[in-house]
Amino acid sequence: MNAFDSLTGALAALLILPGGLALMLIGLIYEWANRKLIARLQNRLGPRWFQPLADVIKLLAKQSIVPAAAHPTLFALLPMIALASVLTSALALPMLGLAPAYAFPGDLIVTVCLLSLLTLCLSLAGFGTDSSFGLVGAMRALMQLFSYEAPFLLALLGPAAAAGSWQIDVIMRYAEANPWMLFTQPLGFFVAVVGLMAKLEMAPFDAPEAHTEIVSGPLTEYGGRHLALFRLSKDTALVIGLTLVAGLYLGGIADPLTFLVKTLALLVLITGVQALFARLRIDQSTTLWWRYVMILLLVQWLVMMVSRG
Amino acid sequence: MTETSRLLEQAAQITTPWGKSFTAPEANRLDVVIDANDLPAAAAALNAACWGYLAAITGLDRGADDGRIEALYHFCAGAAVAALRVTTPRAEARLPSICAAYPSASIFERELSEMLGVTFVGTPDVTPLFLPEDWSPDAYPLRKDIDLSQPNTVPVRPPPTNGENGKHFIIPIGPQHPALKEPGHFEFSVAGETVIGATVRLGYAHRGIEKAVEQRNWVQDLYLLERICGICSHIHATAYCLGVEKLAEVTVPPRAETIRTLFAELERLHSHMLWLGVAAHEAGFDTLFMAAWRDRETVMDLLEQISGNRVHYSVNVLGGVKFDLEPQHIDALLNGAAFIEERARYYFDLVNHDPLFNRRTRGVGVMTAEQAETIGVVGPTARGSGIVRDVRVEAPYLAYTRCPVEPIVETDGDLAARFSVRIRELLESCRLIRVLLETLPEGALQTRMPRRIRAGEAISRVEAPRGELFYFVKSGGGEMPERIHARTPTLCNLASALILSIGRPLADIPMILVGVDPCFSCNDRTATIHTADGSAEDETWTWERLRRYGIEATR
Repeated sequence: MNAFDSLTGALAALLILPGGLALMLIGLIYEWANRKLIARLQNRLGPRWFQPLADVIKLLAKQSIVPAAAHPTLFALLPMIALASVLTSALALPMLGLAPAYAFPGDLIVTVCLLSLLTLCLSLAGFGTDSSFGLVGAMRALMQLFSYEAPFLLALLGPAAAAGSWQIDVIMRYAEANPWMLFTQPLGFFVAVVGLMAKLEMAPFDAPEAHTEIVSGPLTEYGGRHLALFRLSKDTALVIGLTLVAGLYLGGIADPLTFLVKTLALLVLITGVQALFARLRIDQSTTLWWRYVMILLLVQWLVMMVSRG
Repeated sequence: MTETSRLLEQAAQITTPWGKSFTAPEANRLDVVIDANDLPAAAAALNAACWGYLAAITGLDRGADDGRIEALYHFCAGAAVAALRVTTPRAEARLPSICAAYPSASIFERELSEMLGVTFVGTPDVTPLFLPEDWSPDAYPLRKDIDLSQPNTVPVRPPPTNGENGKHFIIPIGPQHPALKEPGHFEFSVAGETVIGATVRLGYAHRGIEKAVEQRNWVQDLYLLERICGICSHIHATAYCLGVEKLAEVTVPPRAETIRTLFAELERLHSHMLWLGVAAHEAGFDTLFMAAWRDRETVMDLLEQISGNRVHYSVNVLGGVKFDLEPQHIDALLNGAAFIEERARYYFDLVNHDPLFNRRTRGVGVMTAEQAETIGVVGPTARGSGIVRDVRVEAPYLAYTRCPVEPIVETDGDLAARFSVRIRELLESCRLIRVLLETLPEGALQTRMPRRIRAGEAISRVEAPRGELFYFVKSGGGEMPERIHARTPTLCNLASALILSIGRPLADIPMILVGVDPCFSCNDRTATIHTADGSAEDETWTWERLRRYGIEATR
């Protein structure tokens, strides 16, 4: 009986709350908040609240055309792997302010790696479709991944070093008990936010899917349910990224209310930046990461080491 | 005028060794008839003397009786227009190319060879520019004797495979692509992210207007020509009216002239703001895109308020204008101009000082003044490279003779300069609108026009938002024109976008392309397309079906 209870409990946690369905639903709502806010900033009306959900339902119902040049199994498998990896990365996070489903020492690294798997799947999808736009987009996505990944990871390791642990919930509990690391490590916070935007391919880091040049980049040939899965993975990655940065830098996430307030505040910040800038060319983006952001981060680490003695 | 006559005298002197006859059809024009074989030498002489630039090549089919095809090479310097006229037998039409002296002639020669079947000896590119892939190579649409009751099609060649052209990797842009608001087809060969080659194929928006005007009367043609473009509709109609009125020797009342000019400036306002939005969008700066288009609505509302329409305001009639300006219109126009002026100042500040946006515009697509001369660009594209080329300044027409225009010139030649030129032109247009309203003359709106237009040829040049628009109007003395040739600014400017693309990163291409403000509808105007099996009813809209639809849709 006990075993059965724990099994249903685990399944419920995985599929419904806080994992799976709830996560995707929150992702869709956050996507709406992002789109609506950007629309208002640009003096447009923006979508209705259920638009992202309606888009996904419509896409799921549509025929998915597999290009002749693509490997059919791989074409269908990549979006699934992407969604699965993003959902798995939520396991170690205190989603919605609830205790993490499965925490272990070093889960911070695993979470970030699982998020990168999404970008990798996107790139492979672009390479696999043999379309000019897909190939260029995939190349750009990988090039950008190689530029922001190291600074982003280092920015997340700043709070970890302060807390003395690489386990997310331990760091977050440390963050709750101490002053916000936004103030103690401002440069790290800046890099984490910008890195999150690059990871989610938001403007000005949207060169991999710059639609006036390469249509939709890696996803140009995707449609129907395969595209829906990719979109769901991106929306989920948005929630997970926001939770991670808010939890580490904005003083932890203790309950559902703080979760909502802090992640939404971060989303507003990101959306504002998104509306403010023109797209960076891929060479400019790479330069920015290696020449400026990396230096900022090294300064941050230097300060941390010196102040610790 | 003395300057113009001095220029014309100079042109006559330069071409004396080859000229067989010199005539002056208008005060500012000189027609030099020369032998076809002397063409390259005469063109080279004009080029060596730096006399003006090649504005257009007009082809005329003089009919089966005459048995010749005539080509007019129009050169413009200031207000002076000198034309080299050559003829070639219809049966074996052959002319020497002048691309050695004027590289910009290439695109005109391509147009002439596919439309009138003239073989150009020594021209660098002989591929079709406008006509569809399945168009028969022996059917020349602008010849008078072409049989349009039969389809002029041949089996289609298979389209080129995506991404395959020898060893180069090709990024196709168009005919349908998010970067293009109108259909055109560009192929960019890339090495990594760097563009190493570029080609263009136009003609996806062909409607056969230049041919169709020859089968309709003078009044009908006005409305047809207005529909060449959806942005600069007014300026096309104005250029046509000016040409026809010149032939008919009709003087337009001064109030009508001012109203025409006013609309032309309003058109420049909304065209430049549309461009600003599109250009910002290409750079991924959607906030500026939305803001520019929101503010553009002010102009569209003004146009609607006065004329009842937003796109085809259709102000012109032959001999005058259709609408008068009421006092409430004048107030609305003044308020609108003040608002646009304030916004334009803000945009100017924004595009010049936003650091991230400047990274996408400064030093991108640099065209030097020498390059601009060689390529033969016109309008804001030329003015961004330090060349004062503005018909309103060089050869004032309509109310510009009374209200002079200050030419806006930037010298950097990059995308940022093109942004600055166009935004500063918004300010200049607002100023002009105020001056025009202050000096609005009283009086009639129209003069009576004859139904038949006296035989002759007229050239009218006007400054469209994208640059010089060149119209050649020829009347045989009847109710219909014999030939109307429209050389749009995009035709001159497009080549520059391709040349400037080479060596740039792929991400700059949409911006460089949009930097010249291309208008494919303006470009693509001459073709008549029939379905291959001749069954017009289902796929093609016949005149009868279009007429019925028009009646039912508006009932």
